[in-house]
This record gives sequence, C-alpha cells and structure tokens, in this order.
Amino acid sequence: MLFTLPVWAQTDSTVQQETTEAPATAEEEEELVSPSIEFICIQKGDKSVDLKAAVKAKVQGKMRKLYGIKTTFYLITDSAEAELGSVISDRNGVALFNVKPEQVVANKEGNLHFKAVLGEVKKMESTEEEVTVKRALLSITPVKEDSLYSVQVKLIDLSTGEETPVPETALGVFVKRSFNPMKIGEGTTDENGEASVEIPNNLPGDAKGNITLLVKLDESETYGYLEAAAVEKWGIPVSDKIEDQPRSLWSSHPPLWMLITFIILMAAVWGHYIVIVYELFRLRKEQPNTADNATNS
Amino acid sequence: MELNNYQQEAFEYQRKNIEKYGKRAWGWTIFYVLCILVGLYALYLQIAKGHGVTGMRDNVVWGLFIVNFIFFIGLSYAGAIIAGLLHLSKVTWGKPIIRLAQFMTLVSVIIGPIFILLCVGRFDRMHHLFIYPRIQSPLTWDVMAVITFFVGSVLFLYLALIKDFAVYRDAKLNIPKWKQKLYKVLALGYRGAASQKRHLIISQNLMAVIMIPLAIMVASILSWIFGMTLRPGWHSTIFGPYFVLGAVYSGCGLLIVAMWFYRKLYKLDYYFTDKHFTYLGYVMLILAAGYGYFTFSEYFTDWFASEKWNSELIHKLFSTSEYGWWTLFANAAGIALPIAIVAIPATRKPGPITIAAFIMVIAMWVKRYLIIVPTLETTLLPMQDTRTEYVKYAATWPEWALTIAGIASFLLFFTVMSKFVTVVPVSGLEDTHTVHEQHLLHPEPTLENTSKA
Repeated sequence: MLFTLPVWAQTDSTVQQETTEAPATAEEEEELVSPSIEFICIQKGDKSVDLKAAVKAKVQGKMRKLYGIKTTFYLITDSAEAELGSVISDRNGVALFNVKPEQVVANKEGNLHFKAVLGEVKKMESTEEEVTVKRALLSITPVKEDSLYSVQVKLIDLSTGEETPVPETALGVFVKRSFNPMKIGEGTTDENGEASVEIPNNLPGDAKGNITLLVKLDESETYGYLEAAAVEKWGIPVSDKIEDQPRSLWSSHPPLWMLITFIILMAAVWGHYIVIVYELFRLRKEQPNTADNATNS
Repeated sequence: MELNNYQQEAFEYQRKNIEKYGKRAWGWTIFYVLCILVGLYALYLQIAKGHGVTGMRDNVVWGLFIVNFIFFIGLSYAGAIIAGLLHLSKVTWGKPIIRLAQFMTLVSVIIGPIFILLCVGRFDRMHHLFIYPRIQSPLTWDVMAVITFFVGSVLFLYLALIKDFAVYRDAKLNIPKWKQKLYKVLALGYRGAASQKRHLIISQNLMAVIMIPLAIMVASILSWIFGMTLRPGWHSTIFGPYFVLGAVYSGCGLLIVAMWFYRKLYKLDYYFTDKHFTYLGYVMLILAAGYGYFTFSEYFTDWFASEKWNSELIHKLFSTSEYGWWTLFANAAGIALPIAIVAIPATRKPGPITIAAFIMVIAMWVKRYLIIVPTLETTLLPMQDTRTEYVKYAATWPEWALTIAGIASFLLFFTVMSKFVTVVPVSGLEDTHTVHEQHLLHPEPTLENTSKA
C-alpha cells in the first residue's frame, strides 16, 4: 500500500514548486533518494510530548520538503520498543505526533528516547532518526498585580524521579499570533528554577481579549525543547467579525447609487446606438427606386 | 450617387488607391504579417509555459502589455474626440483628416484590448467577468466601457463611410466582384435622397455628440483603474483629466504622423496641406502645455508633501541610476520639444512638426511605462524574497515580440483600410468649392494658395 502513496516534494524557496512526480517513482532516477529527518521532541506543560519529524531530500539537485510520507513513531524504553502511531507528512514535509502523558515513559536514566521511521517508498532509502532527552517540565503561572501583568515560569528536572530545579537557564516568553509566536520577553531561572517576566498590557487579543502566553526552552542539549502555555484575558479585544463593507470588491452588492448611475450611463449610450441603428434601417428602407430621385449629396 | 466636380476630382485622384493593392502595399503587408507571426509564436510560448516567460511577477504584475493597452486605447479615445469635434464644429479644413482620426479610433480600440487579454492568466474564466460582474470594480467599468466604445467606434466610422460606399458602388471601379458587392451592401442603398440624407445627418450628429463624452468618460475610467488604488504615483485626483489630456495629445501627434505619411505615400499634398500641419501643430502645442502643467503638478505635489512612498517613487523617477533618463526623455521629448518646434516660426513646417510629433508619441509611450512600472516596483510591504527579478521589472523578448506584433497589426489595419476606402473622404468635401477652384488653377499645392483657401 505504501507504494501507492502520493509523494510530493517542495523546494525550500519562497516560490513553492509543486510536483506530482514522486522522487520515488521517477523512472529516470537511477540513484536512490536519501531523505533526511529533522526529529525533535517537545515536552509540554501538560506533561504530554509532541514529536515532530521534518522530512527533506535532495531531488533533482534541489532540497525539497517531502509530503505524503508515512512516518511511524516509537518509544524506546529499557525493555522494549513500542510503536506509538503513524502520521503522514503535511505540505511542509512535517509529521507531528502528540504522545499523551500516560504514554510517556522514561528509561532508567530518566531519559525519554523516541524514534521516527519513514515508511517504505519505492526508490527511496529507508531512514530513521532517534532523539533522547532528559525528562523535564516547564510550567507557566500568570500573575496580575494591580495593572501589572507578569508570568512566573519554572523549569524542573524530572529525570531523577524527584523535582529538581534547573537554574541559570534562559527562557523565552511569547504570545501566540496568527502565524508564528511573537517574542515579548525573556528571563533566566534562579536557584529555584524560577523566573518572572513582565507582560505588556497592550497586546491585541481575540474578540474577548484573550491572549495565549507561551514559555519556551529551545534547543537545549540536555532537555531538547520544552514549552508551556496559559490563556489569560489580558489583551485588547479585537473583533474578528467581518464588517459589512458595501464598497468592497468582495461585497455581494454594490452601493445602490453606483448601480443606478452605471445603468443610466450605459442605457444612455446604448440608447443612442439603438436610435442610430434604427435610423440606418429607415435610411435603407427609404432608398429611391432609381437614382433619378437622388439629389446631389 | 452624384458628385460635384470637386468631389469627383478627389475621388478620381484616389481611385487607384482602392482599385489596386500595389506591390509596395503587399511588401509591407507581408512584413507586418511576419512580425505578427513572430508575436503569435511568443503568444504560443506564453500560453504553453505560462506568464513566467514574461517579466511580470507577483510584485510587478503589469508590464509592457498594460503600457501598450493604455497607449493604444488612448489613441482611440483621441481619434474619437478629434473626429467628433471636427464633425460638430464643421470646420472646412478639418474634413480631409476626419477619416484618419476615425481610422485611428477603430484600429486602436481593436488592438488595445488585445494587450489586456495577454495579461489575463486564466482565459477560461474570462466569461466570469460577465456572469459575475462586480459593478463596484473599476476593472468592470473599464471592460464595459471599452466594449461600449468599440461598438461606438464601429458605428462612428461606418456612418461617415456610407456616402463614400455609395460613391464606390456607383463608380464602376476596376475591382473584384466581391468587393463591389460588399460596397453595395455597406452603402445601404444610399442614393442621396432628402429623407436618406436626413437620417444620416441625424445619426452622424448623434454619434459625434455621444462619442466625445463617451471617449472622455472611458479614458477617465481607464485612469481610475490606477487612480482608485492606494499606490504611490497612482492615487491622484487629477488622473482622470491627466489621462484624457495625455490620450488626446498622443493621438494628435499620431494623426500628424499619419497625415504626413499618407501625404507622401498617396501624394495627397493638396488635401493634407501645410495648413493642416500648422493647425494640428497649434493644437499639439496647447495640449503639450496642458500635459506639462499636469505632469509638473503631479511630481511637484508628491515631492513637496514628502510622504514616504511617494518620495521613494519620485526618487526612482528622477534618479539617473534608475528611471531618471527616461523621465528626462519623456518630458523633454514629450513636452518641451513639440512646444519648441511649433513655437518657433522657422520650424513650424510639416517636416519638423511631424518629427516632433513622432518623437512625442514615442515619449508618451515611455511616459505610460513610467506611470505603471516604477509604481509597482515601489512595494508598500517589505518583501521576504528580494531577488532582483522579483523587485525589478525587465521586459522579456516574448513581451517585445508581442508589442511589435501589436504595432504591426495597427499598421496592417491602416494599410488594409486605406486600400478599402479612400483616405480623404470623397463625399465629405462637399463644402470646399472655393478650394476646388483654386486647386484647378494651381494643381501644385503651395503654402501660399492653401493658406488663402
């Protein structure tokens, strides 16, 4: 069944070049396509884990994101290798899988060990990638004092079975926007693994003023990626309701005055044309039988 | 249909032009057709490979095609306004040149919109313009206006030709039978009866009256495609009159060039006299002054206000590393040169006036380019991908090939039409008996005898 999967590739450039020609099905390609996986795990504030595999390959001289590729994720413990599930990579070549808290099991050393394996596709090398990180937890607590907003963030190590604060670690605080999170501050954890970061009070929120605050630790050698989120009503309400704009090109009807003016103008001109054509018909009808009746034109 | 002596003489003088196509005309026709074929190959490439073969990208979305559209459609509006005014004012000297103006109107309104079609990415959705029209869109107004104007142009030219068709029908020309039959059909049985005359005069007057405001309106609508967007250099309240004036100005220049060309080619010195060049030169001078005033007002206002994006555009237009030389050419050759040539008595002659008009027409084409492209190159949003070909527009050979094909089509239409009907309207010369008498006395036209006329 895997052979029938449509495999798509995209370039890395802004102009996305799509092709239905799978690298695996290109008959003229003699060499096997060697995909690469950028595999990370993100430990979340609710103790779940996101596994993210970005699949790329060099096809016809260009680095392309592969989509439509089945990626299977495994949890590796000391005694076994358990399959967690499979995901088909999206248009950006990314396969994202959420491991529920009860499924997350650390090994003896307190590490989380995951593996991503690409499904078999014709003329593509089978590839897998592993990631190992220490079990940790990042938490975020919104704090409101008078009109000042801040978040209390805490980073703890869970690899030993106990909650050990992680000091001297830089954390970024973000707010979710339409596309990517926007950074609004950063802090470094103290000996208790805690940091406090002030939040601006003029951030645009949704229709109710809600904003989603994120704290993130990225690319840590020990813990990998961690993040936690909290929703607070600290933003300025911005309505997402589309207001009726009768003059806009996408409105269903033009303003009445415009329609009336348009019809009057067109009727006036085409009315003239009709009169002229009618006059020509009469001219033709009234042609004299002989040229004798004609006068000098 | 009977003609007076002068009309008869004018017809006999031009008879050979519509009886024989001639080797020279065939030569030019073949050349034009070859140019059109190269253009068609470019069009094939564009359809087969997409708009990627042009220099247009998602930033500069309009290029040579839209420049040509504005240029040709402007000539068409100019022809209608000039012909309409000459018809209504009933000035005797204007009668010989009305047909050239009407030729220009019809041919340009056929060629111009073709360039718009070349910009359309999805031909298969063209009919959506009519099925789902957005009345609130200036683009819809323009589509409706151009179609309406095209029908008006056909009627306008046809009405002016009916009497001449009757002349050709009755003249026993040495032409193929199909052509004789065609003249007969197109003459609509016109014999010059009083009632027929009345119907024709009513129609012609109505048409002339409607064509002038129609041309002004459609030229304004064309300008609003740009003027009603919030782009630097486009969003201007004077764009309507600016476009109207620019259209009539370039049209006046082309009319002078066409007049000179036919005067030489068909030896029509007697009908296209020095006086015609001088008078049209005066009109050109006035229009040049008006156009110069509008141009100065546009640039000066934008420069003085120093609004961010307008300032950037002005910088582009005047910087010699960008469009500075083109701006200089457009204004020096397009405005100052015609004024100087006509203003100086020594150069106020057909030759220099025609040269100035020809250069001015080219400069006006460049001016249209300067209106379109630099504005599109001035992006209001920062671009993520700033590859040169995305930011800067450079026309590709298919665009140039199609542009040349458009010009060739324009000239081919003129050639064919001037072999189908007389360039100087025969029946339209009925009021020039005085000139006729002088013509008989002085067969060789001179500045002296024509100015007396």
